[in-house]
Parts: sequence; structure tokens; C-alpha cells
Amino acid sequence: MISDAVVDEEGNHLTLEKQGDLWENNSRNFAEKHPERQKIFHTSSNIEIKRLYVPKDGVQTEQDYLDKLGFPGEFPYTRGIQPTMYRGKFWTMRQYAGFGSAQQTNQRFKYLLEQGQTGLSTAFDLPTQIGYDADHPMAAGEVGRVGVSVSSLEDMEILFDQIPLDKVSTSMTINAPAAVLLAMYLVVAEKQGVPWEKVSGTIQNDILKEYVARGTYIFPPKPSMRLITDTFSFCAQQVPHWNTISISGYHIREAGSTAVQELAFTLANAIAYVQAALDKGLTVNEFAPRLSFFFNAHNHFFEEVAKFRAARRMWSKIMKERFGATHPKALQLRFHTQTAGSTLTAQQPDNNVVRVTVQAMAAVIGGTQSLHTNARDEALALPTEASARTALRTQQVLAHESGIADTIDPLAGSYYVEALTDALEQEAWKYIDYIDHLGGAVTAIEQGYMQQEIHKAAYETQRAIEQRDLVVVGVNQFTVDQESQPDLLRVDPNLGKLQTQRLAKLRTERALAPWRSALDELERGAQGEDNLMPLIVNAVRSYATVGEICNTLRGVFGEYRPVVF
Amino acid sequence: MSQPIRVLVAKPGLDGHDRGALVIAQGLRDQGMEVIYTGLRQTPTEIVMTALQEDVACIGLSSLSGAHMELFSAVVQLLRQQKADDILVIGGGVIPAEDVEALKAAGIAEVFTPGTRIEEVAQFIRRHVRLDVLPQDKLPPLVLGLDHIGIAVTRIDEVLPLYTGLLGLSVTHQESIADQGVKTAFVPLGAMEIELLEPMVADGPVAKFLHKHGPGVHHIAFAVADINTAIRTAQAAGFRLVDEQAKPGGRDKQIAFLHPKDTSGVLIEFCQRTDKERGVQES
Repeated sequence: MISDAVVDEEGNHLTLEKQGDLWENNSRNFAEKHPERQKIFHTSSNIEIKRLYVPKDGVQTEQDYLDKLGFPGEFPYTRGIQPTMYRGKFWTMRQYAGFGSAQQTNQRFKYLLEQGQTGLSTAFDLPTQIGYDADHPMAAGEVGRVGVSVSSLEDMEILFDQIPLDKVSTSMTINAPAAVLLAMYLVVAEKQGVPWEKVSGTIQNDILKEYVARGTYIFPPKPSMRLITDTFSFCAQQVPHWNTISISGYHIREAGSTAVQELAFTLANAIAYVQAALDKGLTVNEFAPRLSFFFNAHNHFFEEVAKFRAARRMWSKIMKERFGATHPKALQLRFHTQTAGSTLTAQQPDNNVVRVTVQAMAAVIGGTQSLHTNARDEALALPTEASARTALRTQQVLAHESGIADTIDPLAGSYYVEALTDALEQEAWKYIDYIDHLGGAVTAIEQGYMQQEIHKAAYETQRAIEQRDLVVVGVNQFTVDQESQPDLLRVDPNLGKLQTQRLAKLRTERALAPWRSALDELERGAQGEDNLMPLIVNAVRSYATVGEICNTLRGVFGEYRPVVF
Repeated sequence: MSQPIRVLVAKPGLDGHDRGALVIAQGLRDQGMEVIYTGLRQTPTEIVMTALQEDVACIGLSSLSGAHMELFSAVVQLLRQQKADDILVIGGGVIPAEDVEALKAAGIAEVFTPGTRIEEVAQFIRRHVRLDVLPQDKLPPLVLGLDHIGIAVTRIDEVLPLYTGLLGLSVTHQESIADQGVKTAFVPLGAMEIELLEPMVADGPVAKFLHKHGPGVHHIAFAVADINTAIRTAQAAGFRLVDEQAKPGGRDKQIAFLHPKDTSGVLIEFCQRTDKERGVQES
């Protein structure tokens, strides 16, 4: 019995729906007299946001609940992949770090671990990521700039010196030469006396989004996909706790996509990887549990939370219905999150701390497994020690002080969040269907389809900012005349020279015979069909450099030539 | 119509972040420029070679990887070696303020960091690009001839003795243009006219002119065949406009003013007559 329900002329109680319609009318009339801030409100993905969400927008019946949400740790995993989530343990606080020499980055790693960070995340410089040694002409000016310079096993030994690889898990942002860096990591573990079964971590290993958005490709798609499936099968047998890929929407979003595009293109790429592995004869329940994801936490708080929830639900359906996976871990979308670097402003950099906090909250409420929070000075340079600490502290405050981690999926049942989760899923399926129609993600990328969709969205955003339809605090509103300049991290410009000297020494001191034969074997292997991982491990052991190994493969595979659109 | 300014947007080094470069490329195209984008991973030599082959007036360099000091400077040095340092070089990316000064000292004309409006970049290019890089010799002239000279007066009545008396001319048309707060009288003089301008409101442009300069020549107006072409051409060539859209002048003419700061202090008007009016002019 509703005591104060509105009644109609005959004294009957009005249904909720009727009352809702009445309210709708009243509020529309009110808004005509007192106009709202915008004619239409919408999310980054152009999903229209209603004035008010009511029960009919949310989850309707018990069956609806069970189909769409279920329970944490159970299909379709909308509410989370673990039964206790952060009540068991917090997400892994994993700050991306790396600059300069292996020695400098080793220092930063140790500092972050001392500060309470719970996992490592390695940034490599661009020459390393593109398979050039520090002394290659194309490396000029880039050595140690955006990450640590690693040319040989020797650098990797220094990088993880006194860091116990059986205790710390390490994520490595490395794609085209991911197999090489993984091999180096495994050999370092071996030298520390840590068996590979005890090693855990992640290689990004996601070449498709490099073609789409990030640009550190080397080889054409086909041999690149082979290297990836080789790591899947090698790790399934020998490095069981290694995440063999981190399928990344992060960079797609940074390149300017909408939340829906980030979701759809990431899952479309994931489908392509799974299909490639199946085509290789791998078993879905064996390799799929080690697939992991990497998403962006952007500004629109509710849309982001909905995105993470929709991603889990969609992936479990894809794996179950499309690929017939049955292993629970093969159905679960595990993901790392980084707050959106492209939202950071060079103007009034302290404001970035606030942006990062809101974005990080979305990631945590969205159920992320690990998180990187950006530092306030990253629109200007790599973070200083002080700004990196504040970024980490942001996560610690959220974890230990805010209480947002104390119950699972706290926004479930919000009429708005459930409606957004449904809308994002629906829109993302449309993209995935269209990409299927084009012939899958690889074809869609070769045709430039994803790239052009992202560029359109990026240009729209720029226009919206310039027309002040989108407010960027401190940039197009609330500006100050005199910007204070924070202290910035400077990378030693002589590093290229120093690394070149070290490499010259290595090249004269290493034993030539095993080095030569390891590269020859790798070349023959690349020409054939065998798994390349053992051959790469062997080459790494002989102190063959990243550049030498990649050049050997370039000789067989060729290089990717992007189409400029 | 003049050739649009040609710009090369280039990504030197290994950086793969091309969102900014792509957005700038499209934005400059929308500003009427012709833009060539190099794609990723260009060496400074490749960039300079492309710039020379494509005969560009401006190179825009983008790097977010921190390698800007080495790579941007290398492009400028190579241009000097090729005696092509009349090409304007600008840059953008993740670049700290202290590096901006060093880059300018090295010959980068300007550095645009995140948050810059594309319009600003376009405006900078228009103002600083060397116009003689444009192949102007092939172009037909933009204007047909002198249309009229505008003279600001305190009162039209006061100057009529000069024009209709001493000079023996006659006033053929008088009109109030409320939009500009001005009353006008036209005195034909062969194919052209003198336009006498008297302020009707205290804060109109003519009133302000009189307040600042006293009576005298206010503007000169060139006849153009197509006002919109004239506006776009002037914009593309780097001239700021008082009126970015044509507006109605007296007698159904379509007019637009160039900004006097870009025309050595002379207020220049483009003026397109209607067909009827043009007939008058040609008779």
C-alpha cells in the first residue's frame, strides 16, 4: 500500500508508470521555462543521457537480473570476476615506469616497491619497442626518452637486479618484439634461480592496436600474429602464470575514440587473436585463461563504469557462445586500467591530480584487476619521483580511506548505470558485427576502417573543445595568465652515446660462435613453422641484441608499411 | 583564386602518437590549406626531402616522445643546408616551456603545445609563411578595379560645396545603412565613386574613426567579381578580416573589410556589385 500515492479523478491509485509520465510532463514544462544547461546531454559515445532514470530503465525482473548481471565470479561476470573482489585483496597498484638507463629504472622500481606499490610495470623506450638497438641511426634522440633502453640481456639483468622475480609480478609494455623481451625476462629469472612456473607477469603483445593507434609495429600482420600465438602456446606449456597478451583499448581511446569504440575495437581485436590461436590448433580452454585486457579510465565517470561492466559481460558471451570455451577463467575478462593520459593538461598541472582521482574511482568501481594512475606532470614530461609518489598515493587513498572497495560492484542496480551498460553493449555489438562483415579485425585495420572511425571521433572532440561545447578546466575556461612551471624529469641527452659504447663492448666480448648459430637457427625457424619462442630464448642467452634478433626476423618477415589515410 | 598554403605535417623519430598530427592536418585543411601528412617514423632527411618535393611553405613537426630537441633542430639545419630555410617550421607535442625557448633559438618559429586552438595555428602560419613561396605569378588578379573611395565627414552637407560646387560633380544616391550606423552619399567619378560617410550613431565605426583621426580618407574599396572568393583568398594568404562573412553595403552591394593591421594601415574593402549595379559601372 502506497500511502501518499497520487490518485486519479476516481480516487484510484496511479501506477508507477503513470506517475512517471506525469513527472516527465511536469519536468518538461519546467525545463521550457527554465532552460537546462544543454539542449541534449550525451556521453562521449553520443549516447543520450535522460533527465532521470527510473526502475523501468534498470534491471526489470529476476530473470533479467540473472541473465544480465548474475553474481560476482559467475557468468556473465558483469558484477566482477572474483567472488569477493576487493574485500579479499585490493587491485594491484601497478605504476608504469621506465626511463633512461636500466640502472636508473631499477632505482625507480625499487623506490616504487618501497612506497607500497604491489607490481611492476615496465616502460621501454621507442627504439626497444620498435626493435632497434640504442646505436641504430633511427634511435637518434629517442634512447631512454619514453622508457628504459634495453638492447641486450645485460640491460635486462641490470633492470631487475635485486628484484625477486618469484615475488613481484611484472607487466611489460612491449608489442612487436614482445617475444624477445619475454625471453630476456625468463632468462633473468633463470639466473636468479627462479623456475619459470613461479614467474608471473604480462607482456602487452597486442600488435593489432599498434597498427590502429600506437604505432610501434615492426612486421606485417601475418608473421606478427604468428609470434603472438607462439607465445600463447609456449607459455601455456612452460610459463603457466604469464599473461601472454594484454589486449588494449587504452591506446585506441587515447587516439581519440569514444568509449563504445574502445570497447568494440578491443573486443574485435581479441576475437581475431582467439581465432588466430584456434587456427594454429591451440585449445581454447588452454590459452584463453591467460588472455588479459587493458582499458582506459576516462572522464565520463558513469559511462566508464558501465564500459567495464559491459566489457566483462560481452567477453564472457563471446568466449562461451562464439568460441565454445568452458573453463571459467577463459570466460572472465581480467583487465588492467590506466587513467586517461590525454585528459591531462599542461595548464595548471595540479588539476590533473583531481582528474586522475575521478578516473581511478571509475576503474575501481568498474572492477579492475590492476591500476596505473597518471602523475600530474605527464602532459609535460615523464613523472618526477615526487609526482609519481602522489599518483600512487591517490590509489592508496582510494583503497584505504574512501571505502569504495568495501562492497562488490557498488553501482549495480542504479537505473542509470544499468541503462548505460546496456546501451554501451548494444552499440559495441553493432561495431563488432560490422567488423565481422568486413572480414574481421585484421582486414578492418588493413582497410583503415578503425583508424578512420577513431580519427573522426578525435576531430569531433577537438572541435567541441574549440567551440567550448566541451569544457576543459584551465584550458578553454578558468584559465590563468601566469602558469607556474613544475620541476620536470630530464633524461640525460648523452644516454644514446653511453648505450652505444656499452653495446660496442658487449659485441666484442660475447662469444661469437653460439651467438652466430643462435641467430642462424632463428632465421631457419622463422622460415619454417616451428614455435619461435625457444629459438628466441636461445638467441637471448647468447647475448644477441633486440636489434639483431628483430633484424633476423625482418629479413624473413619483411616490415609493415602503413597506408596513410 | 590564389593557391592555398601548402603545409607538410610530419612525425619525426619513432613516436607513434599521431592523434595530434592527424587532427592538426585535418584542421588546417578545413582552414583552406593544402596539407600533406608524412605518416610515422620519418627521419629529418626524409622530412626535408618531402618538403622540397612537395614545394611546401610550412612544415609542422610533432613529437610526444621527448626527442624534439634533437629532431626538430635537425630539420631546421637540413633546410639551411638545402638553402630552403624560407620554409616556415613550427612544432608541437609534449614540450616543456624551457625547451620552447631553446627550440625557437634553434630556428623553430613557434611551438604549439596541447590546448592550442587550430585556428591559432592557422593564423600563425598565414602571418609568418613567406608569401613569395606561393606561386603567385600564375594567378589572375583578384580585383577588377577601384570601386570607390570612402571619406569620413562630420556632416555630408558641409562637404557638398566642395564636391558638387568646386569639383562640379553630383550626388546620385543617398542611403542610410542602419547596420553600420552611417549615412552615405555617392558621388560618381567616371567608372568609380566617392562615398561620403556621415555617422548616425555615436559608437559606430565612422564615429570612432572621426574621433580618432578627424575627417579624411576612411577606406578604399576594390571591386571584386565574387566576394566570397575574395574573402577566402585573402584568408588563405594570411590576411585577417574584419568581416569573415560578406555583409550588405549600400545599394545592395556585398562588402567585407580586411583588417588594417595587415594592410599597412589602409582600411581595404572588397565590394561586389549586383548585376544591375555592375551594368552601371561598365557603362
